[in-house]
Amino acid sequence: MNSPAYRYNAFGLNIHSHIELPALPPAIGEVTADVFISIGPVSASGLEKPNKATPFYQSAENILWLNVPDIARFLVRDGNSIVVDPYSGSDEQSIRLYLLGSCMGAILHQRGVLVMHGNAVRFGDRCVVFAGHSGAGKSTLAAAFHKRGHEILADDVCAIDAEGHVAPSFPQLKLWQDAAKRLSIDTDELNRIRLQVEKYAYPLDNPAMEHLPVAAIYILNSHNRDEFEIESIRGMQKFNPLKNNTYRVGYLDGLGLKAEHLGLCSKLAGRIHLSRITRPNHGFKLDELVEMIMGDLRNKGIVAA
Amino acid sequence: MSAGIFWLASYPKSGNTWTRAFIASLRHEEPEEVDINALHTGAIASDRGWIDEVLGFDSADLDHDEIDLLRPAVYRWHADEAEEHGYHKVHDAYTYLANGEPLFPAACTAGALCIIRNPLDVAISFAHHNHCTIDQSIANMGNPDFAFSRATKRMDNQLRQKLLSWSAHVESWADADEIDRLVVRYEDMRHDSLATFTRICSFLQLPDDAASVQAALDKCAFEKLQAQEQEKGFCEKSPKHEAFFRKGKVGDWQETLSPEQIDRIINDHHAVMQRFGYLDADGNPVPALPLEQIAA
Repeated sequence: MNSPAYRYNAFGLNIHSHIELPALPPAIGEVTADVFISIGPVSASGLEKPNKATPFYQSAENILWLNVPDIARFLVRDGNSIVVDPYSGSDEQSIRLYLLGSCMGAILHQRGVLVMHGNAVRFGDRCVVFAGHSGAGKSTLAAAFHKRGHEILADDVCAIDAEGHVAPSFPQLKLWQDAAKRLSIDTDELNRIRLQVEKYAYPLDNPAMEHLPVAAIYILNSHNRDEFEIESIRGMQKFNPLKNNTYRVGYLDGLGLKAEHLGLCSKLAGRIHLSRITRPNHGFKLDELVEMIMGDLRNKGIVAA
Repeated sequence: MSAGIFWLASYPKSGNTWTRAFIASLRHEEPEEVDINALHTGAIASDRGWIDEVLGFDSADLDHDEIDLLRPAVYRWHADEAEEHGYHKVHDAYTYLANGEPLFPAACTAGALCIIRNPLDVAISFAHHNHCTIDQSIANMGNPDFAFSRATKRMDNQLRQKLLSWSAHVESWADADEIDRLVVRYEDMRHDSLATFTRICSFLQLPDDAASVQAALDKCAFEKLQAQEQEKGFCEKSPKHEAFFRKGKVGDWQETLSPEQIDRIINDHHAVMQRFGYLDADGNPVPALPLEQIAA
């Protein structure tokens, strides 16, 4: 195999890639690769004996097959290798999106990292993770904190190591047109994440460099009522929200990582504050949400009163 | 093993949620009344989470048409995995994709219960639901391209749902020859509940003896659902909507709509209204002709 042309450092890993990934920070100095990304054939029909199989992904011990129709098939294995097999006519921009999302998520799972579906925002010497399902408002909230001067460590794929530290991913947020407008971010200057969707790559100007311990995790929810709610989750109750807000939790069983993952969740549960925050689902009321979180972080002693 | 999905298909505000409450009562043997905030009959067909769980990647990075192309395979997989029949609400019309495949594949469909309601009453309820004027609601029901969650500048928890016009929606399901269907009218569900819900149960392969059907009907009487919403709220209500279970009344249009509004709806939908007994032989609007007087 040719030596990969591109070398990056993201999620605390050195990544050597045959595909250019311009959003990622370059690797510094001569380093050995933790992860190789190459282009090659990936079976059209999937794995031989998958533990779990849908038409779009299949998983077995240490191996994940992912099929994004008309874009690419991916094979992610052993926490160190991603093979990409593009469909003819697909564009690199779309391929990158799934490489840096689902595929990196699978790599991190395979490396025994706890991957939360969330964004990590720096507060002092620690960070706070905002987790939730797709569309919960994680990136919008992170962008609002960024505008207030906070560094962002992760967007969507949030890697938390065994010591409870978040490794910075790469300095970019994905924002929908409406969210950008709400934040007074001009999208004329930004690139779409794909030509097909009005969602933009918003580059962050003060990239986070340090691995920081997680002080608190908020699970973001919304409801059809007018009021905000914030509810502290304690003791054994912390376990299920952490499990349910794990990135691509559906991969784990087939990868043979379920037991290990439960261990990671319970270890993290012992280290962090966990709360559920529910906002009205009509009108984002972003400033109120930010103020409410700041107030709660002051109460928890995570930011100075 | 494929158990097959029963689609509970309706234009919005036609009695779908009441039907789900009924099914929940019947299947779960709720003690006194059904809990409207825990209707576990099955996800709505357009639930993004239900789709994403099978994809293993985010539908959020695809456009609406790209997502629709993936939906048939997702439904087939869910049906294959399920050990028993699923009962899934759907507001999408029965449409075909660019590749000619139906959005709801026959192979994973056990049947479609098509619930229809007099469009003169739907117009009023739909206006409340969407927090718009009745005139706007009538325009939406006449719009052949009407869709829910069609925004492209933000993301919704629901996938885009092509409703089409009210007439096209009703006919898309009623005439979907590839799948088994039962068409029921909301008016018959209200006024001839036992007989209508017995037919529904037989079709959906649920217990259809009179005692079971009546017991389930008693537990989810409209007034009970309404009282429960007033007391505890309803998680499926749209935020601006005053109440989801509002009147549920048959023939409300006679007091609420202006003659011009009635004319507009009849003008837009007369053929389908005639077919399902919402116009009499002279073309005049009626709440619902007796079933035996219509040929549909």
